[in-house]
Amino acid sequence: MTTTELPPASLNRAAGSDSSDDLSDEVRARLREIVAEHRARPDELIQVLHEAQALLGWLPHETLSIVASEMGLPYSRVRGVVTFYSLFNTKPRGRHTINACQGTACYVRGGRDVLDKLSETLGIEQGETTPDQAFSLAVVRCVGACGLAPVVTVDDDVHKRVNPNKINDVLEGYDR
Amino acid sequence: MSVTTARAIVTADDLDAVRDDYIERTKDVDFTIMLCSGAGCLSSKAGEIAEALERELAAAGLAERTLVKYTGCIGACGLGPALIADPDGVFYCHLKASDVHELVTEHLLNGRVVEHLCYHDLETGQAVPKFDDIPFFARQRRIVLRNCGRADHDDLGEYVARGGYRAALKAMTEMTPKGVVDEVLTSGLRGRGGGGFPTGRKWAMAAAKPDREKYVICNGDEGDPGAFMDRSVLEGDPHSVIEGMLIAGYAIGASHGVVYVRAEYPLAVERLETALGQARAVGLLGENVFGTEHSFDIEIRIGAGAFVCGEETALMSSVEGRRGEPHQKPPFPSDMGLFRRPTIINNVETLANIAPIIAEGGEWFASIGIAGSSGTKVFALAGDIENTGLVEVPMGISLGEVIFDIGGGVPNGRQFKVAQTGGPSGGCLTAAHLNTKIDYDSLVKLGAIMGSGGLVVMDTNTCMVDVAKYFMQFCADESCGKCVPCRIGTTRMLEILTRITKGEGREGDVEKLAELCDVVRDTALCGLGQTAPNPILSTIRYFREEYDEHIRDHYCRAGVCSDLFVAPCVNACPAHVDVPGYLSLIAAGRPLDAYRLIRQENPFPSVCGRVCTHPCELACRRGQLDEPVDIRAVKRYAADVAYESGAVGAEAIPRQRDGSIGIVGAGPSGLTAAYYLRLSGYDVDVYEQQPVAGGMLAVGIPEFRLPKGSLQREIDTIRVTGVRIQTGVEVGRDVSFDELMARHDALYLAVGTQVSWTLGIPGEDLPGVVHGLDYLRQVNLGGASPEQGSVIVIGGGNTALDAARTALREGAEKVTILYRRRVMEMPAAAEEIAEAREEGIEIRELVAPVAIETAGDRLTVRCRRMGLEGFSDDGRRRVVPSPDEEESFTADLVIPAVSQFVDSAFTEPAAVRISSVGTFEVDSRTSMTNVPGVFAGGDAMRGPDVVIDAIADGKAVASSIDRYLGGDGELWKGPAIDVPEPWIDDDDTREHGRFGMCYLDPEKRARSYDEVALGYHRVDAVAESLRCLHCDRR
Repeated sequence: MTTTELPPASLNRAAGSDSSDDLSDEVRARLREIVAEHRARPDELIQVLHEAQALLGWLPHETLSIVASEMGLPYSRVRGVVTFYSLFNTKPRGRHTINACQGTACYVRGGRDVLDKLSETLGIEQGETTPDQAFSLAVVRCVGACGLAPVVTVDDDVHKRVNPNKINDVLEGYDR
Repeated sequence: MSVTTARAIVTADDLDAVRDDYIERTKDVDFTIMLCSGAGCLSSKAGEIAEALERELAAAGLAERTLVKYTGCIGACGLGPALIADPDGVFYCHLKASDVHELVTEHLLNGRVVEHLCYHDLETGQAVPKFDDIPFFARQRRIVLRNCGRADHDDLGEYVARGGYRAALKAMTEMTPKGVVDEVLTSGLRGRGGGGFPTGRKWAMAAAKPDREKYVICNGDEGDPGAFMDRSVLEGDPHSVIEGMLIAGYAIGASHGVVYVRAEYPLAVERLETALGQARAVGLLGENVFGTEHSFDIEIRIGAGAFVCGEETALMSSVEGRRGEPHQKPPFPSDMGLFRRPTIINNVETLANIAPIIAEGGEWFASIGIAGSSGTKVFALAGDIENTGLVEVPMGISLGEVIFDIGGGVPNGRQFKVAQTGGPSGGCLTAAHLNTKIDYDSLVKLGAIMGSGGLVVMDTNTCMVDVAKYFMQFCADESCGKCVPCRIGTTRMLEILTRITKGEGREGDVEKLAELCDVVRDTALCGLGQTAPNPILSTIRYFREEYDEHIRDHYCRAGVCSDLFVAPCVNACPAHVDVPGYLSLIAAGRPLDAYRLIRQENPFPSVCGRVCTHPCELACRRGQLDEPVDIRAVKRYAADVAYESGAVGAEAIPRQRDGSIGIVGAGPSGLTAAYYLRLSGYDVDVYEQQPVAGGMLAVGIPEFRLPKGSLQREIDTIRVTGVRIQTGVEVGRDVSFDELMARHDALYLAVGTQVSWTLGIPGEDLPGVVHGLDYLRQVNLGGASPEQGSVIVIGGGNTALDAARTALREGAEKVTILYRRRVMEMPAAAEEIAEAREEGIEIRELVAPVAIETAGDRLTVRCRRMGLEGFSDDGRRRVVPSPDEEESFTADLVIPAVSQFVDSAFTEPAAVRISSVGTFEVDSRTSMTNVPGVFAGGDAMRGPDVVIDAIADGKAVASSIDRYLGGDGELWKGPAIDVPEPWIDDDDTREHGRFGMCYLDPEKRARSYDEVALGYHRVDAVAESLRCLHCDRR
């Protein structure tokens, strides 16, 4: 188990992460605790990354570096896993994450219109965050609530039978 | 309520004790409430209902005597929040927290069912209180879902009391591992995740390996969009999965189990964790289970959003903490799987079947379903279907039964188009396949697959090219990128599909797509790539015309591919009238200009404003908000105002062309063609057999739907351009066809369908039997109509409805319509049927006449009652006579109106080719028959159809004839009309239904020929026009 040379943080910046990816000491400590629980099982990397992401809502470069070195894995391996799975974010998120479901049932019931209307209302494309950092818009492919199509989730709230003409009803109630 | 016993479970006696303990603690219960706590209902605030229940039960003093269970998914997801109340077995749905008080006081305290909270039958509107009486539930056979909806998801005691863990005990203490494998083999269980591989064989392969360390993996990735049965089992009955895995581990010799759950299912993870904790606490998991040498434990692994991780080798990669990339097989997981050990990977649903198989025996399971596909399957019904949710049915049930009998059919009066099975790896089943028995092999033959059981229903507003693109987008997104065929193949196929949906399709695209599909299917590394082409292949197979229409005609018939049209209404209108344009003009107070704008594309605004079937309104997006704009009513207003103003005059003929056109038939199709050809400058002669012009508009549709005055002044605007209409001239009698061919440079055959089909039953030629068309013609032309008293009309189309309502106005005391299918399948417009019923006309469905007999000076119509069995190719129910069920009706006049056909004899001299159904055959692009210069359109080409299609055909033929005679085919539409910018404020769209059209009172109007619909006042017309969302602005 050798310690690996970490790539310079500037590499990551070029890849589009936020400038403020310096972790606070508190977060670093919490992160080390998380990794310590799973250190003996490198196959639990995905679980570790889920928990690490829960700290800030995204995975800054330093987080990945710490995970890699503490678990004895090459940084490239960790990064390879992060970029493979769609649920891991390497960019900061808005305070609220909006997921417009584009699963088949939701699509058939007008899911595309819902997504377009959300994009139009918020002024951002999917994958982007509003300038005031309030909302991030993403697409999800089926949350398993097909009986309520079309579905939009905002954080943990599930909005059902969303009407594209009533998008504001969905966004109401989330502080900007 | 989770009250787990702390006592260890090792023997059958221990299981008995847990069961008895459960029975003991629930015995003093008078009422049981099973509240659905599946994810769908929870999202619909079932939690609030739970709280309200607690409060209300306490307040009513019933808390001690009532058992509230938080169950898994009942399955009726569209009806949630829902609950079942025992001992009466009443099902309540669409509940709100505020309903609980009434429920508790009325039902529990006072013993009265609360009807308005019950399920209501879709057709009759009647309440159906009992769970067992509701077809959605009654037709299911719940094995996998045996506890969902019934048992508390959290109570191990209840799981045991309902038979849980007996099978595991039996397997591990009374059977050998080989015996267990054999039992699963006998059952015929096949993988429920989609592959359909025989589970017993998979277990046998792993069991045969000598390795000491092996794995059992439960695949809970359920990535198929549209599938949510695995989720519901994990959330609602996690112990059934644990028990299945326990047995599996014993059978193959594995002591490690892993449940891989996708990260999008946090509730499933939570509930599974709880259940695992419960099982461990009593020794059902861990060392020496049931006192045997066998140990088994399970850990949960969570995915992170990759569809490909549902594929077994990718899944294992993910469990090992790597990128979820699949690898080649062989080696198979049973040889070398997780951490290089022999591994079996089974789907959640497959595992939930194991305990019942061991408990009841493999033969029992094999007796359910059909040969080759035993047992049941859980389907997730979603999309355009009335009853969305989970249903578990025996294999071999027909597709139609699932969609219509259980699923409730397509909502909002729309028509079924396709059922998509198998998600992005699957294919489409069409209306022609409704009789197909659902099993693994029959679906594959049709180009689809069973898949995980997701069944997404799509109605006719679905564009199949768009569907193919949607699925390919999904696959391209989710492609892991490892192999070239999938990574690049899906991208290229997506590019082609995207171009086609944007109107940039090219000849040869479909062939190229098909070729790419074959290559990708044959060379991709894993199941994702190998099956990604399926939706494309399937849609090309059954909906090739839609691809051709997109590429060649730049037309999307479903109104989905928005780059191909201006607005959905314009796209849906066969004549492509500029609807948003004329609505703007009305809103701006310019009805005359609105009329002129309509006339550019449709010379019959007054007619269509009264009798058009308005496909535009079915496509109107406003309908998604509240109600579609009443486009037809606004059109009528514009026409009426224009005609009343007297400002409608002759249009100057801008061109002069050399050429003489002969048109046979002065119906809407012939007159439309005449109008446009005249405006192009040709000499036009129209030959009409009847004494008046108008075709069906004059002699078919009655006065009270289309006043002849309105019709004639519209026809006059065509006459005034110089079109010569000769009435009372029959081609073949007064002038020969050969003469017409000599006289004119081109002919248009627009004779419609003037001859009635007969029923083909004895007595049809008796006096007092008059066919619908003849009857209407007689009355409309002012002739005396036969004696009336009691009238029976046989048929279900518009002719039958018109004849019935006319008979009423002619003085009949009672009018009854007999139809051989159900009312909901009558081809007549729903509005006509409703208006007829309001006027007192009775409609008897499912009766078919077998003979007409005289009975004194009256007639008796003897009928057979019909039953429903299966489906015909067009998706309608097939009717079969019910044996020995007869009914007779007596009447003074019998009017059969069962469709019409073309009187084509007059074309025999020229040998114009006729199709097998008697219509004129034409080239689909030019509308020309086999005889050069002779064209055909309207009903004469299509069979009985609607006015707007006839008008559209007239325009197409006018254009075609112009090209035939050397012109460019451009129709003269008059000077451009300046349409104002619509006054729209997007933020201020307020919901408002239609501004109502007024109708004459049913009792009065039934005896008069006054027009039933009264038309809009200016205020209503303007207000209705303002409801338009102007989809044309983008």
